[in-house]
Amino acid sequence: MADEFDDFLAQALGPPEREADRVFVARVQSQIRLHEQLRAEGRGMLSMLAIQVLGIAAIAAAVFWLLRSPEIAAFAAESPAILLTMLLAAFSFAVLLFSTGSSPGRSRVSFSIA
Amino acid sequence: MPSSGQGVARQNEEDLALSRRAAAGDGAAFATLVEKYERPLRAFLARMGAAEIADDIAQDAFLKAWRAARQYDGSARYSTWLTSIAWRCRLDELRRRPRVQPAPPANPGSNPDAAEVSDMLARLSENERASLVLCDGHGWTHPEAADLLGLPLGTLKSTVARAKAKCREMWSGAGNG
Repeated sequence: MADEFDDFLAQALGPPEREADRVFVARVQSQIRLHEQLRAEGRGMLSMLAIQVLGIAAIAAAVFWLLRSPEIAAFAAESPAILLTMLLAAFSFAVLLFSTGSSPGRSRVSFSIA
Repeated sequence: MPSSGQGVARQNEEDLALSRRAAAGDGAAFATLVEKYERPLRAFLARMGAAEIADDIAQDAFLKAWRAARQYDGSARYSTWLTSIAWRCRLDELRRRPRVQPAPPANPGSNPDAAEVSDMLARLSENERASLVLCDGHGWTHPEAADLLGLPLGTLKSTVARAKAKCREMWSGAGNG
């Protein structure tokens, strides 16, 4: 009786005998692909943000350094509108450069199954 | 002919190699692992109840296993490692969805014994059910199951024995044996 019950239990509680569920496998693969794509985009956005922050900091430092020169300071005092226009043009150029410069990275996952 | 221990060791080595390839971004290697282990994992989760979320939990577990592929070191069987991830996912899911009761599924399928087994399992506690399914159904060792459920080894052994005794009683009461 004990053996019969043990056999019954092992058979009833064990995993079913069947082939791998291709649909389930494909669902997991697509979820992983999506996850990797989002991760790559997140990484790309972060690195772009870092580059932009560095770029703006560099421009700010350059402007600060230029304004410390007596000639530039005198020019700024005489015609601040021209200086402001020049700064805005430089800033617009930098923004254009950043927005077209880089795109988010791509996923490195390959799911080619023979 | 290799012994069972050698077979397990070779299996671990194969799975470790696949997991390392997966950690390096090889999706095909990971797909092989999913193909190998989706059947027992989903069967275990379905047996543990809340069948409607069992597949979601299994999917979540595989995604986490993919992300943590680097952490698998081959010291345990891959199925044990994966099931421990799934077990944590399940606990999280049950915490998130308090209305989902961890009751065994009413899914007899084509096997006439399946309804009887589901009924038996429904009368066991969560730990009794898990330890019985793992040890008597999936061939886990007692230390493996104790580790997964966070129980001392002695407690796990007595839990399995108690669960089995309850099932035997129900089985005999149903006119078997």
